Amino acid sequence: MKKYITFLLLGVFAFSCSDLEEKPVGIIGPGNFFNNTNDLQAAVNGAFANIAHNNYWGREFTIALMLRDDMADIGDRTTQAARIDVNDMTMNDTNALVANFWPQSYIIITAANQAIEGAKKTPGDPEKVNAIVAQAYFARAFTYYHLVRIFGDIPYVDFVVSDVSQVNSLGKTKEADVYLKIIADLEFAKQWLEDKPKAKAVPGKGTAAGYLASVYLTLGNYQKAYDEAKYVITNETKFGLGLDADFQDLFNATKAASLKEPMFTIDFNNLNSGNYGQDYTAFFTGSLKDDSYNYGQGFSVAVPSLKVFNTWDQRDYRRAVSFDTIIRKKTGPGGSLQVYPSSDNEKAPRPHIAKYYRFPGKAGANGRTSEHNYITMRYAEVLLTAAEALNEINPGTTEADGYVNRVRARARNKAGKMVSFPANVAPGLSKNDFKKMVIDERRLEFAFEYIRWYDIKRLKNGPEVFGPDGLEPHANFNPAKDYLFPLPGTELAINPNLQPNNPGY
Amino acid sequence: MFTNFKNKSLKWYFLVLFVLVNIVVNAQDKKVTGRITSSDDLLGLPGANVYIKGSSVGSSADMDGNYTVIVSEKNAVLVFNFIGYKTVEIPLGNKTVVNVSLKPDTKALDEVIVVGYGTRKKSDITGSVSSVTAKELTAYPLLSAEQALQGRAAGVSVQSNNGGEPGSPVKIRVRGGTSINASGDALIVVDGFAGVSMPQPQDIASIEILKDASATAIYGSRGSNGVIMVTTKKGKPGKPVIEFSNSTSIQSVNNKLDLLDADQFVAYRKSFTTHTSAGANTDWQDVIYREGMLSNTSLSFSGGSEAIKYYVSGNYFNQNGVVINSGIEKYTIVSNLEADLTDKLKVGLNLFQSKQNKDGIVSQTGAGGTGAAGVIASAYRFMPDKGIYNEDGTYTTTAPIGDNIDNPYATAMENILETVSFVNRSNFFAQYKITNDLDFKTTLGLSDSNSETGRYIPSTLIAGKNIKGEASVNNSRNSSFLTENYLTYKKEIIEKGVLTVLGGYSYQKNKNQSSYAAARGFLTDTNSYHNLGAGTVFMKPNSSLSETELISAFGRLNFDYDDRYLVTFTARRDGSSSFSKNYKYGTFPSGAIGWNVSKEGFLIDNKTISNLKLRASYGATGNPSIGAYSTLSRFSEIYDVSGDVIVNAVQLTSLDNPNLKWETSYQQDYGIDLGLFENRISLTADYYITNTKDLLFNRPLPGVSGIGSQLQNVGELENKGWELGINSKNFTGADFTWSTNFNISSNKNKVLKLADNKDLLINSTPGHFLATDSQILRVGEPVGSFFGFVYDGVIQQGETVLPGNFETIAGGEKFKDVNGDGKLDSQDKTIIGNPNPDFIFGLNNDFTYKNIDLNIFFQGSQGNQILNYTLMELASGNNNATTEVLDAWTPTNTDTNVPVNAARTKRVTSRFVYDGSYIRLKNISLGYSLDENIVSKIGLSKVRFYISAQNLWTITDYPGSDPEGNYLNDTNARSNTNLGLEYGGYPNVRTFTFGFNLKF
Repeated sequence: MKKYITFLLLGVFAFSCSDLEEKPVGIIGPGNFFNNTNDLQAAVNGAFANIAHNNYWGREFTIALMLRDDMADIGDRTTQAARIDVNDMTMNDTNALVANFWPQSYIIITAANQAIEGAKKTPGDPEKVNAIVAQAYFARAFTYYHLVRIFGDIPYVDFVVSDVSQVNSLGKTKEADVYLKIIADLEFAKQWLEDKPKAKAVPGKGTAAGYLASVYLTLGNYQKAYDEAKYVITNETKFGLGLDADFQDLFNATKAASLKEPMFTIDFNNLNSGNYGQDYTAFFTGSLKDDSYNYGQGFSVAVPSLKVFNTWDQRDYRRAVSFDTIIRKKTGPGGSLQVYPSSDNEKAPRPHIAKYYRFPGKAGANGRTSEHNYITMRYAEVLLTAAEALNEINPGTTEADGYVNRVRARARNKAGKMVSFPANVAPGLSKNDFKKMVIDERRLEFAFEYIRWYDIKRLKNGPEVFGPDGLEPHANFNPAKDYLFPLPGTELAINPNLQPNNPGY
Repeated sequence: MFTNFKNKSLKWYFLVLFVLVNIVVNAQDKKVTGRITSSDDLLGLPGANVYIKGSSVGSSADMDGNYTVIVSEKNAVLVFNFIGYKTVEIPLGNKTVVNVSLKPDTKALDEVIVVGYGTRKKSDITGSVSSVTAKELTAYPLLSAEQALQGRAAGVSVQSNNGGEPGSPVKIRVRGGTSINASGDALIVVDGFAGVSMPQPQDIASIEILKDASATAIYGSRGSNGVIMVTTKKGKPGKPVIEFSNSTSIQSVNNKLDLLDADQFVAYRKSFTTHTSAGANTDWQDVIYREGMLSNTSLSFSGGSEAIKYYVSGNYFNQNGVVINSGIEKYTIVSNLEADLTDKLKVGLNLFQSKQNKDGIVSQTGAGGTGAAGVIASAYRFMPDKGIYNEDGTYTTTAPIGDNIDNPYATAMENILETVSFVNRSNFFAQYKITNDLDFKTTLGLSDSNSETGRYIPSTLIAGKNIKGEASVNNSRNSSFLTENYLTYKKEIIEKGVLTVLGGYSYQKNKNQSSYAAARGFLTDTNSYHNLGAGTVFMKPNSSLSETELISAFGRLNFDYDDRYLVTFTARRDGSSSFSKNYKYGTFPSGAIGWNVSKEGFLIDNKTISNLKLRASYGATGNPSIGAYSTLSRFSEIYDVSGDVIVNAVQLTSLDNPNLKWETSYQQDYGIDLGLFENRISLTADYYITNTKDLLFNRPLPGVSGIGSQLQNVGELENKGWELGINSKNFTGADFTWSTNFNISSNKNKVLKLADNKDLLINSTPGHFLATDSQILRVGEPVGSFFGFVYDGVIQQGETVLPGNFETIAGGEKFKDVNGDGKLDSQDKTIIGNPNPDFIFGLNNDFTYKNIDLNIFFQGSQGNQILNYTLMELASGNNNATTEVLDAWTPTNTDTNVPVNAARTKRVTSRFVYDGSYIRLKNISLGYSLDENIVSKIGLSKVRFYISAQNLWTITDYPGSDPEGNYLNDTNARSNTNLGLEYGGYPNVRTFTFGFNLKF
């Protein structure tokens, strides 16, 4: 009988040893990560992945940035109210776009902070570790640079949050101090990033310097803006930068991989995982009723302000690249495509933005989930930044004229056929005329490329551009309020130290 | 999808099997018959046992107490026994007819009730426990035993998650919902194996539902939603009993919605917009509904000797749903063996295996926008003036009106959605009597459940057109290992004072794995999801593994003094790997007292009161719904593209959460058990208050944390209610009997505390409604309360309209200015309904007259409201409408509550909140058993034929398709808050069944 008892009691003891400690497989904790530079790169990529996200560059942030300026207006006014409010200067602190891109910005920053912290314990050649973690510094600077321009004073987090209490009552950091931190991050990035990374989606030395130039231009520090831009221009070959011959190619997803001009891209490849890798820009800018492409009609959410189209010189090749003036409709089932004027789209009867909808590569329904590699900064911008800054320091130089002329010369390449428009800059422009010229050059060259709102903000010319003679009049534009977006009200409710909201909200 | 061929061949298989067995059984000698009755009332004792002493030969009595036993030995002694009666032995001699009358065993008058880790006599129970019998579970054919619990036990509410969908999951709530975000499902324990799926109704001997903390605390951290103890059938000593039963049912849709026909629809559309008739006239409900078929076949063998007992059974269930292209089939095998190896050592093995094939259709769609409507919703929405096909042979869609969706026929026939699931479960036990007072039991269980869901969206549908078809395969595998080891000590420690002590240890490990693969861009739709490699675009694959461990120590102490005073203490200490670092272990104690008043001197000879017991209990139980690894800080792999190649990327997705705890329910229960007239009428009533604390909520974190939210213990919830169950033997004549079981229960649910006591708004509307909040969690209000505008009729001509962004035209919708500020805005939203019923009830009547038996079972719910999204959508203009719009406001028809025809915003308002009360004739069945003398000549001991009908008749004012409807309550949080909602659900069915039972 004893042997039975032994047998039975075995059951008791065989399984009584467990410490209940969880040992996850297939799941990574920050504690057991950062064992090599590949881990570090994956952590850095976490930041970039969250930029290529529906709540940021895929839709929510970029549509706000595009609509806010005087170039893009709402087409179909039955679209989401939050978009209309951004466009019409009628935002409040419950705006749904802000509610999405505000936390998304901090998700990007958190990912960058994780990588920066993780780099401290990543084994390997310090140079290599620094070259990788410098990408995280760039991602953090990139995101704060957008945040500070959109919101002004913001909470600044540059540490790893391990407990909620660390950020529960965090107050705002002054705009000027945020800029200092952005510059510090970009300096680090510029020091350690590679000269010529293997893909444009990876920032390089030139990228960091280009962004420094942009930051200094925004701050009105023209000497430094010029210095940084000049540094990039001097090293353009080393950094693999240049102007691509055909302006159209910049907006053709199938040609993105071979471009020289991008300083930094946000890459999409027609696949997504939930909100990651999901973009809607083609979807938003394409025309309703347009059956031109196999991915289906667009949604006419953001369309050009009519005056933008009407005032743009017809000889400019960049106009043809920037707009579609026709739509094509299928006549009956199985019928062929017939061409109609854009005005046949009764919800938004006007030309549409073509930069994204025309060549998105493979795309999902209505052009979403495209293959675009969105360019956040082009080398052309560095040239124009150099020109603008130099004009401020030392007006009337041929050097400044030359930078603009490079951009214009490329625009004269009309799909391989050289035309005479736009002509070179007339030499000897006054400081003010040159500035006006270069700002307008930026407006046209980078139309619908998320530059224009920041130019309006830094030049504080809102009352003019949204005035009755502006491209997109908004009589309610209030310079005391509308240069900044409101912080999300929910955020202020959780953390009262963020109060008050920006003036007017 | 399921051919009748399979069904038929299986029937043949069973028939051949039992014919073979028959031949073996018939090679016997002398037949003895007789009737076993109760000495009380001389009524037959169905199920009473007779066997030949010292052998394994025996049988049990039929419905009327008659038995037949084959005797081969001379000088045989027949032993008669039955639970609750004294055993009688009668030497057979030359007799061939032996009638016997058993006397009640007053000491063991009771049935035995299964409780956690043991059994108790019903009279000794101090907690609140409801029992459901095998007969009730098999009263009508059902795929799942869960569903058979509906209306059978007080305090237990049972609802299908999706109407009459074949294989729809079933939601059970014991004493209301004790949680908001964690699971509200009761723990199911099958033959001691905790946390597994139920066997088929045919294989279940009894189900006990443990309701109060005294009963459930033995399951500690898993006890707060109640425990359902399932005991499967076991063999009894005696000759083999072979039972074969088959039923065939015809099903039809219970209720169609009254929608507009093509002419009415065109006129309706033209009354507010331009519309050109497409020329057809299609009743889409007729197109997708059909006559459903259900067949249920089972065969079981049971019997054994005193030493070895067996029960083996097979079941085949096949159902073609009432909606085209939907159905299910399920095969189940059960084998239960028990062997007494020595006087002291007993071992047993329970095996369960099932395979289920479900062929689903898409319904209850959460986002029914472009190309995404479910079959049922689109049958309601789709315009009746279109046909199934366009002239070019493609399917019609709703374009250009509203969101472009496929027609319901296309959606049902073209989409492929198939799930195959397997369950394998084995549970071994050994029991050893160490001394007469001390017993040791160990169990070892393994359970494996796998399922594969294959899906294909073909290019013929809107959703698959541009992407050239999308195929996906989703696999999941869950395995569980459990060992329980416990000692039971029972001794009369003082005179009349019996002490029972149970103590044990248990270890359970669960492992869940899943994988997912999908592809798009197929040349042809014919591969379905069976050739993912043929796609041109490969979607991101997925796989996962999670493991949890649960280590527990548990104990129970019962002290019964003179069967009059009863005391129970129970405690369990659970340690779970998924619990947070600082709260790895939780202790869940309970205590209860009982007083058998009827055993006191002053009542013991009372002619009226045969049983009176008062009970009270208090205890704490838990709800552990903390997912594996969820309290750990964690990086998640995310999707990232760099230079057109996919690269590794990780992101922090959760922070360390070292202080997260399980939810704890504190329950008090006061009960009374009353038996009248020698227990011909027995009554059980309970009153309880359950207070659930530390509710788990995802609390929003500051955006700057980079993490959206974190699970925290905030919130408190109360459930308070009463239950009453009455069993009555109304009439117990020799030829005619009538018994009634009635149960009724009421539960009031109230939120006591929320994070910062702020209202939480929930939006449960289908995504394409683009509506905002529909429900609210508010302190002092029940969970699931509907939240919206109060509909105040239509605007009459000349009426002043409140300012706000609402309709202003005559005939438009008018809403109440609830806060009285003179304008209409979101501040005027208020609670507009309560989905929780005032009470639910079940009423069962059994009649027998000679060989005829009749069962009538009503079940119902009173006072619950339903927010009907289907009707909300149908009133919105850009789709077909119900005939309600024929009474819409016009300048000449002003006395109406139906607003003027228009395309309007889908808005949650009290207009779509309806009374969902109903009384339903759930089952009526009439059976006839052939005379035993005739039956025995063909080697059978019982033949019964029956016809029955389910859901034959319903009383309700509810205008939707069915008051038992439900909408998207599949996940934990949704199952607790998505109450009383309906949208595009699978219709409920009316069933006519013919069946027979054979017993050898």
